[in-house]
Amino acid sequence: MTSRVTTFTEPAALRWQSVSPAAGAAMLAVLGLLSSDYVTTVLGFAFIYAIFCTGLNFFMGYTGQASFGQSAFAAIGGYGSAILCTDLGWDPVLALFATMALSGVAAVIVGYPTLRLRGHYLAMATFALGLIVYEITIEWTSLTQGYMGYAGIPPLGIVGFELPTVKHQLVALVVLALFGVAVANRLRRSRFGRALAAIAGSEPAALALGIDVARYKLIAFVIAAIYASAAGSLFAHFVGFISPEVFGVTMVVQSFTMLYLGGIGTVWGPMIGAVIVSVLPEALRGLKEMQDIAYSAILILVLIFVPRGLAGLSSLFARFRRNTEPL
Amino acid sequence: MPSTIEILQSLVNGVGVGLIYGLVGIGFCVIYNASGIVNFAQGVFVMLGGMFCQVLMSQLGLPIILAIAITVPLVALAGMAMELAIVRPMLHRGATLFAIILATLAAQIMIERITLLGFGDRPRTFPDFTPGGPLRVGEVAVGYQLFWILGCGALLVVALWLFFNRTRTGRALRACSQNREAAQLLGIPVARMMLVAFALSAGLGAIAGVLVTPTQYTAYNVGTPFGVSGFIAAIIGGFGRAGGALAGGLLLGVLQALAIVALGAGFKNVAALSVLLVVLMLFPNGLFAGFSLGARVHSK
Amino acid sequence: MALLSVDNVTKRFGGLVANQSISFDVGDNELLAVIGPNGAGKTTLFNLISGFFPPTSGTVRFDGRDITGQPSHKVAAAGLVRTYQLVQLFSQLTVAENVEIGSHRVTRGGVGGALFRPDWFRREERSVREGARELLHFVGLEGQADLPADKLPYGRQRLLEVARALAAKPRLLLLDEPAAGLNTQETEALADVITRIHRGGTTIILIEHDMSLVMKIAQRIVVLDFGKKIAEGTPAEIRAHPDVIAAYLGGTEVVDA
Ligand SMILES: Nc1ncnc2c1ncn2[C@@H]1O[C@H](COP(=O)(O)OP(=O)(O)OP(=O)(O)O)[C@@H](O)[C@H]1O
Ligand SMILES: [Mg+2]
Repeated sequence: MTSRVTTFTEPAALRWQSVSPAAGAAMLAVLGLLSSDYVTTVLGFAFIYAIFCTGLNFFMGYTGQASFGQSAFAAIGGYGSAILCTDLGWDPVLALFATMALSGVAAVIVGYPTLRLRGHYLAMATFALGLIVYEITIEWTSLTQGYMGYAGIPPLGIVGFELPTVKHQLVALVVLALFGVAVANRLRRSRFGRALAAIAGSEPAALALGIDVARYKLIAFVIAAIYASAAGSLFAHFVGFISPEVFGVTMVVQSFTMLYLGGIGTVWGPMIGAVIVSVLPEALRGLKEMQDIAYSAILILVLIFVPRGLAGLSSLFARFRRNTEPL
Repeated sequence: MPSTIEILQSLVNGVGVGLIYGLVGIGFCVIYNASGIVNFAQGVFVMLGGMFCQVLMSQLGLPIILAIAITVPLVALAGMAMELAIVRPMLHRGATLFAIILATLAAQIMIERITLLGFGDRPRTFPDFTPGGPLRVGEVAVGYQLFWILGCGALLVVALWLFFNRTRTGRALRACSQNREAAQLLGIPVARMMLVAFALSAGLGAIAGVLVTPTQYTAYNVGTPFGVSGFIAAIIGGFGRAGGALAGGLLLGVLQALAIVALGAGFKNVAALSVLLVVLMLFPNGLFAGFSLGARVHSK
Repeated sequence: MALLSVDNVTKRFGGLVANQSISFDVGDNELLAVIGPNGAGKTTLFNLISGFFPPTSGTVRFDGRDITGQPSHKVAAAGLVRTYQLVQLFSQLTVAENVEIGSHRVTRGGVGGALFRPDWFRREERSVREGARELLHFVGLEGQADLPADKLPYGRQRLLEVARALAAKPRLLLLDEPAAGLNTQETEALADVITRIHRGGTTIILIEHDMSLVMKIAQRIVVLDFGKKIAEGTPAEIRAHPDVIAAYLGGTEVVDA
């Protein structure tokens, strides 16, 4: 079958594996704090994408479905937060939750008919959803200011206390991303997570065991949408400016690159992928113009040669360790 | 309230662009039938067709006939490269369906960005194949290029029919589409047939691009709308059927043209995409049975 | 009262009548076998009973309730659990995880429980894990609990599928050719497992081609041929039934002549 489902109950001996990525994320954060604002910004993007991909992983990794239009929900979050905070003076946190709820509702409405589709049809339908929202963000200028984009969005704050610098915000983003991963991890190791894994494994078998496949798919889709929305809102606050291009097809391809590179279906893969894919082009400064080409090329190579991603490689490593332990 | 003239005019325009969608749709079907894959990068061939042709004409001063004669094989080669470099190794390794779709999407973005680097983001166009026009029927203007589109479209349909029914290669391709394993057993070189399918499909896209560019423009990013519209055409026509895709394209083109009259040009893509969603949802398994689109492409 | 009653059920696929006016009852804690030549319509019958697709006409009642045309996950949730003719394991998950998923029907935890992990949730998870271990022991797979399911030899995959279905604590278990492709020892192990399940109080309907297995463990047998029920009775009665012999000797002409 597919290679995207991985086993969801790690033996206790391997628990340390889930501590080390968290420690790694914390170290990156510290590194970000000690470096220039530019590095901090790059890392901030990485953790925003980590949130987006962790959500997408619910739907694609755990449940084995595909959504090529998750950017739509990021756009709802981003534009929602921008409008609520800039025009209506809402508190960013309040706007964050409100847009997450809105995205969840939108996901239920579009997901209900769409998720009955399979294979190419599901892929194309979700792709179309993303494109529709993209077109709307361009054309509905009175709401979104079209190509010009939406500027002057206030930075993230916690009930009245603004986070004044990018460094403060990076800390907030790392905490939120880790929280997002923790939630994903809890959900995965449960009856709910098992039901998703069952759907990824074999829908007929899942149905025969009494799993309401349509319902669980929808829940996974909604969770993915809520994560995407949060990522969109955080992006808006972090940069202070959004435009339609931010939530375009490139976002889809970028997030897929992260997901597949990091290891689809694993808990930490999305974050690992997000950090690597965000930082890599910065390391190769000269590539600036060719960033998208590089993303696409990396994605294609990963899809061909390491479809299980880096997390897949790390499990090889783990097995190797276990085998050598008795010596 | 739009006038009758406006509506008639938009219908005429819709037929032209609809035929183009139909050709792109046929391109989808050719690859799908041969390989079980929906190539999300299909629209990029349309873009490349218009782009190469325009560059050859404007920068090398080639006459249009020569430019087309070079462009179409060139784009067909690009299609073959995509098959050899991306699709074949993935199928070979038993990649999942979504992974292959994603790879073709990535290929599209890669080609678009390379085009952007090479030729810039300026929209380009070239004149109608024959100067003069438009022909006036009452108050409705019919550009000469529309006749080229209709004529070439009809010729292509005949040529495709002859190819699939009268040539060895065409018949072998059809055999692959009915049952790949059986075709393999009959000694048909299935792998080579996929290469042929990608070349044919890319060539069709290129012709569509060359035909349509004089009526609008080409730019590095026109691929996605054409690709999506072609896919919609293929779906309306019952995925896998060339004639159906053509009819589906015409229907979509006309609907889209009417949507422009009713809603304004800005929302024409939204309208087309909504048609896609509606068709997909009303016919979740396709309009015709027998094409199991949910199946995995390759099982080890 | 019968646990399952199939009443005058017909299924057409276009012109083909895969099941034609089939009726039979299954009592509590019975072990019924459904036999018939290839293409007789046995799997179709299972699909109709388990809600995989609705019958063209007729009704299916389970535990006194009309379940005709209900979606399969609802039917399963009511306690009617099936296996498939072609093994449908969660192949990337471990053997133990496969069985743990089977307990979905008899557990409650949702998103809230998973997030906040209250006591009842932890207890439930623990009992799921323990239950899975016991079931693996029951079918003799305890040694392979942590192996990926697709690494099991084929015969053991079939046992795993049965264990997974058992985790759902079914009231009625439908087994579609569980012994297909098994060697003699494996078939014997499976027969032993089925007998023990039955003795434990579970009602079973078994589709099977292996006649010696059927004759050994079934209490009653329903015979299908060309979509029709041609006989029903005890193994001894079926063995002597002229239509059954004719069907298995190839062609109903023998009977007509
Ligand atoms: N979904 C379907 N669509 C069309 N025809 C079907 C479908 N399912 C089964 N059939 C047909 O119905 C008939 C009965 O098939 P079924 O699978 O029920 O037979 P079976 O008794 O289980 O055979 P076997 O012993 O080979 O498993 C066959 O002719 C089969 O081709
Ligand atoms: Mg059968």
